[in-house]
This record gives sequence, structure tokens and C-alpha cells, in this order.
Amino acid sequence: MKSRKIWVWRGIVALFFIAAPAFGTVDEPPASVSIGSLSHLYSEVVFDHDLHLSVTDDCSVCHHHRFGKGVKEERCARCHSESQGTFSARCSDCHVEKPFSVEHIMMMEADPKRYHIDMTGLKGAYHLKCYNCHAAMGAPSECGDCHARSDAGDRFYHSGIYAPAGGSPTGKHE
Amino acid sequence: MSGISRRKFLKSTVIAGGSAAAAMTSAKSAFAMKEFQGYPDSMGVLVDLTRCIGCRTCEAACNKEHNLPEPALPFDNLSVFDETFHEGKQKRRTTDKAYTVVNRYAEQEPGGPVYRKIQCNHCSEPACLTSCFVNAYKKTKEGAVVYNPNVCVGCRMCMVACPFGIPAYSYDSALHPEIIKCNFCYDTRLKNGKPPACVEACPQEALTFGHRKTLVKTAHERIRSNPGKYVDHVYGETEVGGTSWMYLSSVPFEQVGFNTTLQHHPILDNTKSFLGIVPMVLGIWPAMFLGFHLLAKGGKTENKESNAGESCK
Ligand code: SF4
Ligand code: SF4
Ligand code: SF4
Repeated sequence: MKSRKIWVWRGIVALFFIAAPAFGTVDEPPASVSIGSLSHLYSEVVFDHDLHLSVTDDCSVCHHHRFGKGVKEERCARCHSESQGTFSARCSDCHVEKPFSVEHIMMMEADPKRYHIDMTGLKGAYHLKCYNCHAAMGAPSECGDCHARSDAGDRFYHSGIYAPAGGSPTGKHE
Repeated sequence: MSGISRRKFLKSTVIAGGSAAAAMTSAKSAFAMKEFQGYPDSMGVLVDLTRCIGCRTCEAACNKEHNLPEPALPFDNLSVFDETFHEGKQKRRTTDKAYTVVNRYAEQEPGGPVYRKIQCNHCSEPACLTSCFVNAYKKTKEGAVVYNPNVCVGCRMCMVACPFGIPAYSYDSALHPEIIKCNFCYDTRLKNGKPPACVEACPQEALTFGHRKTLVKTAHERIRSNPGKYVDHVYGETEVGGTSWMYLSSVPFEQVGFNTTLQHHPILDNTKSFLGIVPMVLGIWPAMFLGFHLLAKGGKTENKESNAGESCK
């Protein structure tokens, strides 16, 4: 009986931790975020959230209208200047991993009144935010500055030990 | 009773006799029809040049997806953007070893450089298809323009007809030369409801895959909701009657290598009257080309005949 109770509690605690980020009840931002969705080509990218907190004093630069000093983009502000924050601060709660799956395309098209039909997937959201800001701010912006390539990645790009021998110009078109 | 049969018989002979003419008329009226706007559920890709960073990941993904030959330089080598041909007038083009290439433009422009990926645009009414005498091309209901090497006779009309200079020819392959071009990943992905390899690989989501109809709306919405960011034009929405792959740009399209002088109706229109006589010609031409093709291929044929085959190519 006692052990059953413990398991129930453990279950509740576990549920809380799983559900908490989704409900946006996390008050403390994570110090860093590990992103491994491209792990077939690169080792995990560890995003230093703390470092980026010190770079800007306005969370809404990245988090739309979840936190921060108000909506950054004018077109968003038209509706969201007074609105409550988004339901979550986690990129992956809105930006899906497979934006071009049949299911997702159908879901986006199912409601003809839907306004947000042009939402990027998770990979796009990361890169458009991270890369574009890095490039604009003069921060490191070569692929390799964030991504350490794996052996499979080298093979994919025909680079490193898989680089072609010789190397003549491409693009001949007779 | 016999009278009725006789009348029926007479009628049918009249129809039979007139069938050649009738076929021609119906072909003509079909071509004269206001253009067929592509299949309703056609898929497409919206390429947003403002997002592309020229990383060439799409090129690598395409190479892997289709087991294409090893590239001359690694896909992370960006010196390819400096390559030019024909005294610097021509940037990289698609080849028999690359279904897609990315080029760099507008280096000196304020918002530059701008990168542009090229591949087959999967036209709604493809000139490659209509120019082909043996129907080697097919426009699938998913929007892909696919090519069948087994019926191709190697005349390379499609290479001349394509307004975007996309089809390449594998001259190197002595035994089975064929047309090489992007197939929208039809066999490996599109027909199974999966996005193309290049789209899936692009880190910047510069390539958005979806129903063409929806993408047209998405494109105009991006222009509308980001005032001043884009040129107010969706390239491919109407060019040559519409293409499945469409483009958005922040700099005028002619500055990033697009042909902005193309007509806004299908290339087919120009050849309508010509196509009216195609049904008759069709009977002869394929045989002729096939004959040349076989001659060109057959090692044992006399030199004279092989030359005839060559001259047709
Ligand atoms: S871009 Fe060229 S090869 Fe592709 S469908 Fe259009 S005409 Fe054919
Ligand atoms: S759609 Fe497929 S074949 Fe065409 S360029 Fe992309 S990966 Fe290559
Ligand atoms: S993968 Fe995307 S961002 Fe990279 S070159 Fe291709 S289209 Fe541009």
C-alpha cells in the first residue's frame, strides 16, 4: 500500500516536470538548452541561454510576446500589443519539427480562417532567429561556429576526409 | 430494318472517314482552350531569396538523395560562387551531375549578397513536355514534371524549349545518354507525401513546401505583411503560365539572374498552330528519331549511318 502511494506521488511529480514547460509555469529560464535535432550531421548544439540573457535585456527579441518589453514586430503588435503572452516560452511548443509533413500541411489548411498559416518549422525558427541575428550583429556566423560536424556530416558535404580528389570547376553546361 | 442498318452503316463510314479531320479539330480546340491552370492539388515550393544564406546544403541533400556523382568540390566549398562561364556571362547551371545549384548575386547591393537556388521549376504547362515528340515527359497530379529515359530518343528538343535552361544531357554516358533534371524527388518522396530532400535539409527554411495554391497566398501575404522587404512580385505565379516552384526576392528579379522578359502565358501558346498538325507528324517523327537513335547506339552500323544519327542530335 505504502509503496503504491510513493509511486503515485512520483507519478505526479514526474507529470509536473514534463508538463511544466508546456504550461509555461517555469519562472527560471534554463541556463543552457541542448539542441540535437540535427545530430545525424552534427554534434549537439548547446545554446548558452545565460550568455544571451546578458546580450539583450529584452526577452521578446526572441520570445515574441511571451516575455519582455512588448511585441517587437509591428505586424504582430497590431493584434498582440495588448494580448496575453503566448502559452509557452519553448520554441518547440509552436514550431514543429516536421512542418512539411502531410499531417501538418493538412492541419494548417483545415481552418480557412486561420491567420498564422506561415509558421516556420523548428529548424527554420532556430536558424532564422539565431543565424540572422548573428550575421546582423557581426557575431560568429559560419556553420562551423555553432555546429561541430560528425563523420556522417563530412560524408554528406563530401568534405574533410571525403573531399573529392583534384577539384575542377563545376557547372559546365553544354 | 435493313434501311436502318444501312443508315447506321453510312453514318459510321462518314464518321470513320472524317475521323482524322475530327481528331485534328478536337486537338486544336483542346489547345485553344483557355489555359489549364495546373492540377488543383499540385504541390509546389516557395523559394524566399531573403532567407537563403548560400550554404549549399540543398545541393548536398539532392546529391545524396539521388546518388549523384561525386562533386568536383566539397559542398561546403563556397569558392564555387566565383565560377563563371562564357567570358563571365554565365553563372553555374544545372548539369548532368547536379540537379540543383546555388549562385550568388548582387554582392555590391545594400541587402546583398543574394543567393538563388536553381532547379527545374516544374511548370504547370511545361515547354519541355510539349516540345517532346515521344511523350517522354509527364506532369504528375502532384505537380512534378518527370522524364522517362526509356522512351527518350535523345533529340534534346526539351533542352532548347525549356525557358529556364534546366534539362542537361549526360554526354559522358556513351551507352545510355539521357536527359538529367530535378524530378521534385517524385519517386523517392513526393509521391509518398514527403517533401523534397533539398526542402527538408535547408536550415533557413528558404524553401517552403506546400500546395501551390496555398503558397501563392503565403507569398503575397509575406509581401503584404512586410512592407518594403520584398519586390511586389511572385516570380513563377504567372511566368510561362505558372510554375510549381516560385520565388520571392528583396532585389529586382533581373538582378538575381531571373529572366523577367518571359511571357505570362504558356510557351505552348506559341506553338498552338504548329501543334494542330502534330497528330499527323507524330506518326512519322518518332519513328524517324527512334531510327536515328538506334543507329547512333548500334555499334555495328556503318559510319555513314552513324553520322546521320549524330547530326540529328
Ligand atoms: S523548368 Fe524547364 S525542364 Fe522544368 S518543367 Fe519547366 S520547361 Fe520543363
Ligand atoms: S526537388 Fe529533389 S531532385 Fe529537385 S533539387 Fe530538390 S532534392 Fe534535387
Ligand atoms: S540549403 Fe537553403 S539556405 Fe542553404 S543554400 Fe540551399 S536554399 Fe539557401
